[in-house]
Amino acid sequence: MRSDENILTKWGLPVVALFLTGTTSAHDPVFGVGPHVLYKDGIEIHAGAHQEKSDERTTESEFELKYGITGDWAIGAGISYISSDSHDGTEKGRGPSKLFTKYRFWREDTFAAQESAAIFGQVIFDDGENNHHNVKREDNDYLLGLAYGYEGRKWYRWASVRHRFNADAEGGIERPDVWKVDLVGGIRFTPSEYQEPDWVWMLDLNGEIFEHVSQPNKQLGGEQWFSSPGLMWTYRNVALKAGVQFSISDNLSSDQKGDDYRTLIEFEWHL
Amino acid sequence: MIRRLIASLILLSLSFPALSDLMRYELRVDGLACPYCAYGIEKKIKALEGVNKDSLEIKLNKGLVIFEADTDSPLTEQSMKTLINDAGFTLRQYKVLSINSREKPE
Repeated sequence: MRSDENILTKWGLPVVALFLTGTTSAHDPVFGVGPHVLYKDGIEIHAGAHQEKSDERTTESEFELKYGITGDWAIGAGISYISSDSHDGTEKGRGPSKLFTKYRFWREDTFAAQESAAIFGQVIFDDGENNHHNVKREDNDYLLGLAYGYEGRKWYRWASVRHRFNADAEGGIERPDVWKVDLVGGIRFTPSEYQEPDWVWMLDLNGEIFEHVSQPNKQLGGEQWFSSPGLMWTYRNVALKAGVQFSISDNLSSDQKGDDYRTLIEFEWHL
Repeated sequence: MIRRLIASLILLSLSFPALSDLMRYELRVDGLACPYCAYGIEKKIKALEGVNKDSLEIKLNKGLVIFEADTDSPLTEQSMKTLINDAGFTLRQYKVLSINSREKPE
């Protein structure tokens, strides 16, 4: 059996799940995606880190810049650095860079509430030094998604669906595409005013559905579900978000290993 | 005689400082749910010429944006509608009040 196939099986689930974030913004969920964009001519500086633990521990640090072309359309670019710890040692290096965009095509504003929907897309370039568990891609990956959100002074709710089109790995080995669905509720216990610190607590239900791919002697595919408590703290134009994803259910191919948990922390600054 | 009178009136009018109004704007804005997102409104209003930056109040629980501006002509409802929309919200009501007429040095 080719060594690439072993590697592909090893990283199967964690790697394709990685980088499914990147189009979130402002008061969006921690792990899901909401319809928020930036104000026109606004700039967002975004720094974050997330860690995934399965057989290996992968930590990714990322830096992103976003720009509001209009009040409903934002674009951005990001770079990352990845560190992977496994039984074979630690590998570190620049991760893939990416470009992304989000367009809020529907917005319904009422008193102290906003309901909206957006489409978004992302290109994850095949340019990283560290390609997650040494799996090299042959081409770029692409992500397309749709997000809905309701934001009130007290209650929040979001829903999103994403599809990641994964390029083959080096040697023509097929990587499974991924569907991801998110249902999120949030609450602001104290309706703070503009110049006050603001806290929003969230609970995500995140599902990841992997297309079935048959490899020689291996089967990849299945699904995994997570429950994810999260918190967002903001003060005027600064935001901190953090959350943990716990695996609550999985129905994966026996050749795949799902993530046990994931953690994420993000910092945002609007200029 | 008439020429002298007209000339005197012109000189007299030039000797007066220009007048401008200090206006108070009250904008009822829909969609104001989160303080972090409302920052776009603050930034855009403070970027307007003549706005008293200290006067800006964003009252989320009342859906109000209030500020004072000293401009040669009042900020129009249409310009405020565009500004609020660019910030990601909807202007529902526009109210402008003249606080006083005061002299603006030339």
